[in-house]
Amino acid sequence: MAEPTGSIRSLRDTDWSHLLTLLRDRRTGLSIGVALGLAWTLGKIAVPLLTQAAIDRSIEGDSSVFAWAGAIAAAGVVTGSFTAARRHIAFRESRMVETLLRERIHDHVLGLHPGYHDRAQTGQLMSRMSADLNQIQMFVVMIPLTLSHVALIFGVGITLVVLDPWLALVALVPLPFVNVTAKRFSNAIHPAVLAVQSEQAQLSAVVEESIAGVRVVKGFGAERVRMEALSTEADDIQRVSLRAARVRARFLPLMELLPSLGLVGVLGVGGLRVLDGAMTVGELVAFNFFVTLLVWPLRSIGMTVAFGQRAAAALERVHEVLSVNPAIVDPHDPVALANAGPLGRVTLRDVRFGYDEGSTVLAGVDLEIAPGESLALVGSTGSGKSTIARLLLRFYDPDAGSVMLDGIELRQLRVDDVRRAVGIVFEETLLFNDTVAANIAFASPRIDPVADRNAVAQAAALAGAGDFIESLPDGYDTVLGERGYSLSGGQRQRIAIARAVLADPRVLILDDATSAVDPSKEHEIRSAMSTVMEGRTTIVIAHRPGTIAMADRVALLDEGRIADLGTHEELLARNERYRQVLAAGVSATVGGDH
Amino acid sequence: MWGGAGVDPDDRLDRSEAAQVLRRAAGMARGQRRAAAAAVGFVAMATATALLGPLFVRHGIDSGIRVGDRSALMLAVVGYGGVAAVGFVGSRRQYIYVNRAGEGFLRELRLRLFAHIQRQSLGFFDRNKTGVLVSRMTADIESMSELVQWGLLQFVSAGILISVALVVLMVLSWQLTLVALAVLPIVVLASIRFQRSSNDAYLEVRERVGQNLSTIQEHLAGVRVIQASARTDEQRRRFKVSNRGLFDAHLRTVRVSTWYFGVVELAGVLATALAVLAGGYLVDRQSVSVGTVVAVVLLLASLFEPVQQLSQLYNTLQSATASLRKMFDILDTEPEVDEHHGSVDLGRSGEVVVDSVNFAYPGTESAALSDASLRIASGERIALVGPTGAGKSTLAKLIARLYDPDAGSIAIGGTDLRDARLASLRRRVVVVPQEGFLFNGTIADNLRLARPEASDEELAAALDRIGVRRHFSDLPDGLDTEVRERGSRLSAGERQLVSLARAALVDPTVLVLDEATSNLDPGTEAEVEMALERLMEGRTVVVVAHRLSTVRRADRVVVCDGGRLVEVGTHAELVAIPGGRYAALSAAWEASRPVAHPFSTGG
Ligand SMILES: Nc1ncnc2c1ncn2[C@@H]1O[C@H](COP(=O)(O)OP(=O)(O)OP(=O)(O)O)[C@@H](O)[C@H]1O
Ligand SMILES: Nc1ncnc2c1ncn2[C@@H]1O[C@H](COP(=O)(O)OP(=O)(O)OP(=O)(O)O)[C@@H](O)[C@H]1O
Ligand SMILES: [Mg+2]
Ligand SMILES: [Mg+2]
Repeated sequence: MAEPTGSIRSLRDTDWSHLLTLLRDRRTGLSIGVALGLAWTLGKIAVPLLTQAAIDRSIEGDSSVFAWAGAIAAAGVVTGSFTAARRHIAFRESRMVETLLRERIHDHVLGLHPGYHDRAQTGQLMSRMSADLNQIQMFVVMIPLTLSHVALIFGVGITLVVLDPWLALVALVPLPFVNVTAKRFSNAIHPAVLAVQSEQAQLSAVVEESIAGVRVVKGFGAERVRMEALSTEADDIQRVSLRAARVRARFLPLMELLPSLGLVGVLGVGGLRVLDGAMTVGELVAFNFFVTLLVWPLRSIGMTVAFGQRAAAALERVHEVLSVNPAIVDPHDPVALANAGPLGRVTLRDVRFGYDEGSTVLAGVDLEIAPGESLALVGSTGSGKSTIARLLLRFYDPDAGSVMLDGIELRQLRVDDVRRAVGIVFEETLLFNDTVAANIAFASPRIDPVADRNAVAQAAALAGAGDFIESLPDGYDTVLGERGYSLSGGQRQRIAIARAVLADPRVLILDDATSAVDPSKEHEIRSAMSTVMEGRTTIVIAHRPGTIAMADRVALLDEGRIADLGTHEELLARNERYRQVLAAGVSATVGGDH
Repeated sequence: MWGGAGVDPDDRLDRSEAAQVLRRAAGMARGQRRAAAAAVGFVAMATATALLGPLFVRHGIDSGIRVGDRSALMLAVVGYGGVAAVGFVGSRRQYIYVNRAGEGFLRELRLRLFAHIQRQSLGFFDRNKTGVLVSRMTADIESMSELVQWGLLQFVSAGILISVALVVLMVLSWQLTLVALAVLPIVVLASIRFQRSSNDAYLEVRERVGQNLSTIQEHLAGVRVIQASARTDEQRRRFKVSNRGLFDAHLRTVRVSTWYFGVVELAGVLATALAVLAGGYLVDRQSVSVGTVVAVVLLLASLFEPVQQLSQLYNTLQSATASLRKMFDILDTEPEVDEHHGSVDLGRSGEVVVDSVNFAYPGTESAALSDASLRIASGERIALVGPTGAGKSTLAKLIARLYDPDAGSIAIGGTDLRDARLASLRRRVVVVPQEGFLFNGTIADNLRLARPEASDEELAAALDRIGVRRHFSDLPDGLDTEVRERGSRLSAGERQLVSLARAALVDPTVLVLDEATSNLDPGTEAEVEMALERLMEGRTVVVVAHRLSTVRRADRVVVCDGGRLVEVGTHAELVAIPGGRYAALSAAWEASRPVAHPFSTGG
């Protein structure tokens, strides 16, 4: 849950390399922005100089003041238009950076192996793609402005020195301290801001779970428990944000005070010099003006440093995600799956697998399913049935042994080929926020949900979903709600079955896919399924004798191995463990009652 | 979801609505009143001192430098320094107090909103997407935190700066001020246009951000299905479309704001030019001093910065009021299922009476239950069977009062559920749904959902009671195993066991199992069911089931079809009805049972 705290570090340890690479990629746009910014700087510096000249002339009673005022106005037009142009470029570039990065993260994460997603948290990944990118964007947008500010500071500094070196010294002495303070500020605020972000993320996780799981929360009356969790997080946010405010209170006012001291010094020392006749009033005014001009740029450079550091940290977190190598990838020279002859032979040879280091789920599974054969996979809860299904989809690679499709090891095939050849109905139904037809056509790239309505309807009918879909308000065009909640459990499961049927895979896996389908329909579905299973390799993970009996053979999975293999009747007759798992003994007693 | 994101007209508030929303927010912030007053005070102090600076400069020039009075100059210098120091102190305090007031308000808002959302009944969650509700509680409140932290500070200080600067300018020289402010109409017009056009643009951005995030969320939640369907590239393409849509919306906001900032900057410099022009003329005629001209020019510089800030702030304020209004809309939604005054605790009796209940899900036309009547005796075990979509789960949810019936009533132990205290209802009636939602945390945390105070021994005892402890003790960390997001570390059956054990820990009077054992292997299921049977001895159990074995264990069977309870009776009674639904169902079951079943004597 907690944000990785490893990213709290000082300025010097910050890893800037990712940020630099990123900026290099956008150098054209950014350079234009910077050039525009520099032009703006020139205009900015011209204004006080012109004002000075105007005031000095007018005191001398010169009538040229009109021309000077015109010049100031012209400088205004320059600064005004360059401000606009600079802003435009800066925002466009920064949004582009953000947009491209978001796409990169999304595309990368979507292709990462399920083993990664087992551990990753959706909330964290989402904040990589939102909050972190915001920080990067906010920094990038400041680059042209900041560079022109740097130029402005140099320009003003040089002008001041030229105008009057001594006074310049007085005016500029406090300024380096502004910068030092800004840096110290950024170091101090960084962890505080990270802490606020991490607390916000935690709160958001609590909220998300409480709402997504509201049926359970209500069912158990757990509102109080969730409320407590939330108020803990809310208090944490308040606490850490006060801590951040304290840091701001310590540094920001100081950064405002320092330039004022310069102004006070200019007034005192400059005033004396005017009295001594060493400079004009106009020059004094210009000095004042210049020092005020420096206040914002100096402060904003301080901020930019802080932002830059946050952006670098954010980018580092982003790169942590981007640098995860997908563990399941296409081989260098993929073998093509055969397209003729009997298709769909599945072979597992001494497959060993565990999700975590040291744990074993499968301890040497040997299994061979002939093309077109159907096999029921039976085993107790947690025995590894779904795990075998996941291996066949190549969601994971086995630790040892080999998984083969039509005699070719899955690792030698293109991943997409495997997934097109192997279709699955997962034990938990997930529907997308799209129409019924689009959900059914989800796994069939060649089927258009609108144009190929007949094919979609046919698949739905085979899955026993045709009737109720017709009765939905918009039939096949009904948009299913978030996670398809407005359908009943069995209805959702059938849509998932239709999805797999339409995809027409050579190996079909039904992972407990009829658990929520009522028995009266089950035999209907079953007869439809036998059409689907005809000539297709099918693996059914099921517990109901009726469903199991549909399969040609049954494999009993126990203790990580195939403990027995045969027909349902054979296993019932000879295997005690099989009877246990199917509660066949129990059913006999109950059955004997009537 | 992939559709265009027009601006929701509801988001646009007119002035009076906005004022109302803000007033209400202010009312809610009453608890923070003192901190807020202190904050405004310190902001004012810090701001005022910033304005006094130029006045000291004028004094120094006019009474010091121009007349050669060194002591007056020194006085100005000391005064300036003093004012800066006071400003420093005010500025330090302002950050603390602004934060106290603001975060205090936000905390209050978070707690209230969440408490209120939790009070809502399920119909509310059917209507509102999870993502939207989550963003109310997070993104919306965080965007307000921006306003509260920086916005208020800027608003107060910019407001003070502008008004005081104007007053001081007028006092210094009204002629100069009027001339310089001839540019004001440009600024005002530009600001009005900017606010109009930017408001729409920003609202669209917000809409798109929301959509984009929900696409990401959907893709992450469905990543396994996407990969299994070899759809990764297609989903990437779709995300690109949505993401580029967001980029375009951002660009529109940039386009509308770009020219505005240019215009304001231009106006600022033009004002200076005008002041210089008029100043030259007036100084010439001895009607203003040079010091005054200088002070005016300096003050003008500090006038235009805050105008820009205020305009930008206006957008933040607009979107914050829109967020606030949406939150108030939630706060104003009275839960459909609520307890009224004088509601009573449910008794120990588990008798359930469903009396002519009609029910349709909010927002749907067709009834999910019609004219359903059923009397379940205390301690009875009922099996609900029927085709998919028949209304079994709906009945289960109504018995737990997750919804209220549209007509008719449901009573437990003689008390109409609408008269029962919700807390006692939740303790007495527990529904275990098919997909037991697991929260991030350990298995033990998840078991404690309904009884956070339960000890480790009690957890172990509850697991023993339903005979499933060994399933968890085999895991590497036992009950301390982290289940990960949504319980993805566990197998489907193991997740169901956790959710069953939750129920065993609460020990309810009425237990509703909605296909709560459907992912278990029959062996485990039978064990669990028999254990539950012992556990629920003398208490009422309603099971929605698709398995013959479960149905056979029930005292009576209720057949549900098309929202009606069509047959009620014992297994034997129902199979005896010629042409009956249950008889047909039972025949289907029997037929599907393997013929050569050495242990089965039935069929
Ligand atoms: N993503 C995962 N990470 C770690 N362990 C896992 C993961 N998924 C499953 N397991 C563990 O692996 C074992 C086998 O799980 P699997 O899901 O294959 O069981 P199953 O036979 O399908 O059970 P069920 O009938 O309950 O669905 C279980 O003990 C489970 O706790
Ligand atoms: N939240 C909801 N909003 C709107 N309609 C719903 C909602 N939940 C269910 N329905 C509809 O109400 C009807 C009854 O659904 P219910 O969940 O009670 O069926 P069920 O008998 O439990 O079916 P199953 O065996 O498939 O679980 C169905 O037509 C379903 O589409
Ligand atoms: Mg499984
Ligand atoms: Mg149901």
